[in-house]
Amino acid sequence: MDLSFNIGGAAGQGINTIGDLVAQVFVKNGLYTFTIKDYMSRVRGGYNFTQIRVSDEHVHAPVHGVDVIIALTKDAIINQRDRLVEGGVIIFDESLGFEECERCHLPLPLEETAEEVGGNVRMMNAAALGALLSVLKMPISLAENALADIFGDKGESVVEGNVKVARTMYEEVKGELAQRCDHDFSSVEKGPSEDRLLVTGNQAIALGAMAANLKWISAYPMSPSTSLFQFIIQNSRRLQIGGLQTEDEIAGLNMALGASHTGARSMVTTSGGGFSLMVEAVGLAGMAEIPIVIYNAQRPGPSTGLPTRTEQGDLLFMLHSSQGEFPRIMIAPKDPLEAYYLTKDAFRLADKFQVPVMVLGDQHLAEFTMNIPRIEIGEVDMDRGKLAEKPDKPYKRFKVTDDGVSPRAFPGDEEVVVAASGNTHNEFGHISEDPDNRNAMVEKRLAKLPWILDELEEPKVYGDKKADYTLLTWGSTWGAAYEAMQRLSQDGISINQLHFAYLYPLKTETLKEIWEKAKKLISVEQNATSQFAKLVRMESGLSVDEEINKYDGRPMTPEWIIKQLEEVGVQ
Amino acid sequence: MDYQTARGGWCTMIEREDLEPPQEIQWCPGCGNFGILRALKQAVMELSNSKHEFFLVSGIGQSGKTPHFINLNGFHTLHGRAIPVATGAHVANTDLKVIVHGGDGDLLGEGLGHLMHAARRNVNITCLLHNNGVYGLTKGQYSPTSPHGFVSKTSPPPTGVPMDPVNPLGVALIGGATFVARGFAGDIKQLTELIVDAVKHPGFALVELMQPCVVFNPKWGWDFFRERVYKLEDDYDNKSKTAALEKSFEFGDRIPTGVFYKQEKTHFVQELQLPEGRLRDHTNDREEIQNIIDEMLV
Repeated sequence: MDLSFNIGGAAGQGINTIGDLVAQVFVKNGLYTFTIKDYMSRVRGGYNFTQIRVSDEHVHAPVHGVDVIIALTKDAIINQRDRLVEGGVIIFDESLGFEECERCHLPLPLEETAEEVGGNVRMMNAAALGALLSVLKMPISLAENALADIFGDKGESVVEGNVKVARTMYEEVKGELAQRCDHDFSSVEKGPSEDRLLVTGNQAIALGAMAANLKWISAYPMSPSTSLFQFIIQNSRRLQIGGLQTEDEIAGLNMALGASHTGARSMVTTSGGGFSLMVEAVGLAGMAEIPIVIYNAQRPGPSTGLPTRTEQGDLLFMLHSSQGEFPRIMIAPKDPLEAYYLTKDAFRLADKFQVPVMVLGDQHLAEFTMNIPRIEIGEVDMDRGKLAEKPDKPYKRFKVTDDGVSPRAFPGDEEVVVAASGNTHNEFGHISEDPDNRNAMVEKRLAKLPWILDELEEPKVYGDKKADYTLLTWGSTWGAAYEAMQRLSQDGISINQLHFAYLYPLKTETLKEIWEKAKKLISVEQNATSQFAKLVRMESGLSVDEEINKYDGRPMTPEWIIKQLEEVGVQ
Repeated sequence: MDYQTARGGWCTMIEREDLEPPQEIQWCPGCGNFGILRALKQAVMELSNSKHEFFLVSGIGQSGKTPHFINLNGFHTLHGRAIPVATGAHVANTDLKVIVHGGDGDLLGEGLGHLMHAARRNVNITCLLHNNGVYGLTKGQYSPTSPHGFVSKTSPPPTGVPMDPVNPLGVALIGGATFVARGFAGDIKQLTELIVDAVKHPGFALVELMQPCVVFNPKWGWDFFRERVYKLEDDYDNKSKTAALEKSFEFGDRIPTGVFYKQEKTHFVQELQLPEGRLRDHTNDREEIQNIIDEMLV
């Protein structure tokens, strides 16, 4: 079973509500879902849609082909109908007056039923759900329990109304109307869900930060990072995390650096344009060796670009951000579950090496929803790295050590004076223009790189290690590429996937191994210039054979990748 | 003399030699910064805090070097960004007495927005604004406080600076600072008192320090200020924001010094409801995190 629904309409029509409702119904019944929201940068109107995939196995990406479309506007019908698979159906309210109907069109009295049966036009969501289950020939019982759970807080009459509306619509569609769709899932029976968390990448990153003992967050709102910042702020009183919406991104990062330097684990959240403003302070973190976690939910640029769309266009910008040379760590999670663990690790690495750690998400990762197992929080991570237990007197904040990491004391520690500077400084943190000191300090900072490299994980190989073709991926494009790779493998094509979560410093051992075996290496990136392939070439001297790029701001689908692969001769 | 610290330890009175500059002072002879440094040292000795409780955060320029010339916790940060860094430091550890040092270019040029917002938040830090009306470190360009018509390397005659200067005290007052004062580098005694009062004040304190730059702004020399500065009269009411605002525009033949405005109200960390003790030592309650997760279960 692998189904996809698109719910389309104007902003403000409640598309997300229907989407969430549909997703929850399936998840509660033990199925796996994957949801994306495709929306414009406007508050009302326009054309948006939510896509929900439902399967009895894990699903990782949006798809092009759609089984059922629920359209709330004429635009939604026109924009989506070309994506309908054979035997699919478009459900829409009959009041839209869409006249050129084909067999797959199913005009229904959704609004009328909501008003007359439920007494509330808002129950149109339940009407759409009833119709949906009916055309798929799925049991209405799927909706009944779920509606009780979802609307339970709002009282019995709300639950009853919704159930009645759903059932009425279900009965009305049953029979002749439902035959317009070839799907038959009447036998789908699953127990209650075992994987019960339905989360976005942004929520998972927030949870990872909390588990890492985040104590300070300062940020300026910017799509699509905002929901992460808000999630933390909403929970800040419960966990006593300090947080502030600052006047700008410049203040955001500088404030977080002040808090981190003084001993509180800190992070900032932003998107590319906001990160541009932070760049100066990234250098301060590098020079003063302050641990910090910087989350960039990338979106298409340059400038304001496409505010609500997705891209992996900031990789090289972040790699090279700020003047001068200093180490940093770059991490890109592939999905929400990995985002949780990698974010926790980001804080550990930041403290261990006293460097900025950049977590590269993107709009796709930030906002798609999928089920993951319940996260067990375990111990909160309190490993602060090297601390100055018995500090030298006078204390050397920037003491030269073999691994470049100096034991840390914080301003406010008794009997210690902690000095630091954004200028080139000596071991005590005081300005120095001495050439030997300059060399020693540059070398001290860069000495961290090999130790960092030792600490990072190798990339993962999915599929047959010895395959002829290798897809090279990083970050959130993992899902679509993974499904494409699986589909092609099932068709007998010798193909695997080499995926990087830790991007910089770059691990090259597995890379070289795969390189030697593969006949063709193909990078798949959500950008126009194959930035990761460039980084790989820079760090390893190895080049990819083909580059597949998407930069229209919409996430990749497995079908799209397969088509591109055909064009470069993978068959 | 021993006394108890905020965290319960015991501490010895700070002596002048405890504050000896960790490195050679690099200011020009005759610089107003020497007077400011003397007043700062005196104030630190007079305040009953132990040495580790002070934290100086500075921006760029000659004033930015202050933390290198006094043996206290210090962080010499970026141009204009000292206030956000200081805010973060204060939040992480409210035991610290955080004192910002910035110049007129630093705090009123690049950092003007941060100054306004810190004032608005009433962050409990002290901000010492070294005002010499010129850019010294970059050698002689006009600054945000240079007078209209001031001739500098970037404001040639006949026009000079083609605009009016920023009014630092006015900006702080409008922003919402709860302690606003002015001192003069040539009056160490008054300056020391102002710094002590500013550090003790629970809220955002801005002290403008008139500081001659004898090299690049000789017009604002020692005599210029000595002839003009006067102390606010005894009957001056520093509880009135409008009076203070009006007074802040008096800058010409006569330059008032002293506390222009002083008012107490809740300050930033009180509004944030942070945990008891220091934020830096706090641990997130793991059961509460698990609750947050479990509330998200479908």
